[in-house]
Amino acid sequence: MYQDVIVTVEKRGNKAVVNLEGDITTFAEESITKAVQSALSDCKSIVLNFEGVEYINSSGIAILISLVTEMMKKGGKLLVANLTPHYQKIFKMVGLSQYTTVFNNLEEALAAQD
Amino acid sequence: MKKIIELTLPSSLGCEKVAIASAASVGKKMGLSQDRIEDLKTAVGEACINAIEHGNKGKKDAQVVVVFKEEQEKLEISVKDQGPGVDPKAVETPSIDKKMKPGSKQRGWGVFLIKNLTDEVEFCSSKKGGEVKMIIKIQRDGE
Repeated sequence: MYQDVIVTVEKRGNKAVVNLEGDITTFAEESITKAVQSALSDCKSIVLNFEGVEYINSSGIAILISLVTEMMKKGGKLLVANLTPHYQKIFKMVGLSQYTTVFNNLEEALAAQD
Repeated sequence: MKKIIELTLPSSLGCEKVAIASAASVGKKMGLSQDRIEDLKTAVGEACINAIEHGNKGKKDAQVVVVFKEEQEKLEISVKDQGPGVDPKAVETPSIDKKMKPGSKQRGWGVFLIKNLTDEVEFCSSKKGGEVKMIIKIQRDGE
């Protein structure tokens, strides 16, 4: 019943945008991790664009923590765009907002200085 | 008089989305704010995931029963499985700093989210199985 995740990567200036569409659950781990690893080979700043995401569960939160951990090891920076207000609250609650920069939309994230 | 809605779900990941959709409908009908409906959806979803993964431990023939009881001032939600139940004292409060350390498991946020998104939560167990009871107090839009 989960909506399969579709992940696309695009280069925008000096940032890579990882567009997410679908449900962020345990089944999305491989697709998201591969896309972020591939994007990191080219850019140090990655924007995770949640515009097409309506559902993130606790396994999805765990995937994002794992990504942040990996990115910090590699000296990368994770920016987040288009999270709904509810998931922005969840990010604060679990502490993810300490390790990512959360923007209301993609334009704001792309305009942010490295 | 209490209004009661009961759902019986297969114990399979993804089925929690049926309970989440029902939670959204019940919350809207009871006049909860959109913010509180989102909290309710996440709490119900996580309780179902725990029931499927930790309660029923992947048993395909097991079930998850979700009950919404509408009362005047609160919504009570019960999620039951056929497992041993959760000992809340045994569930460590997760910390992102700990979970980012090498060798740590990143999972384990379900109970934390349920506790933080509901007004009251109780974990029970009996011979029949485990149960999580959650309460959302009704503060209707504009109050």
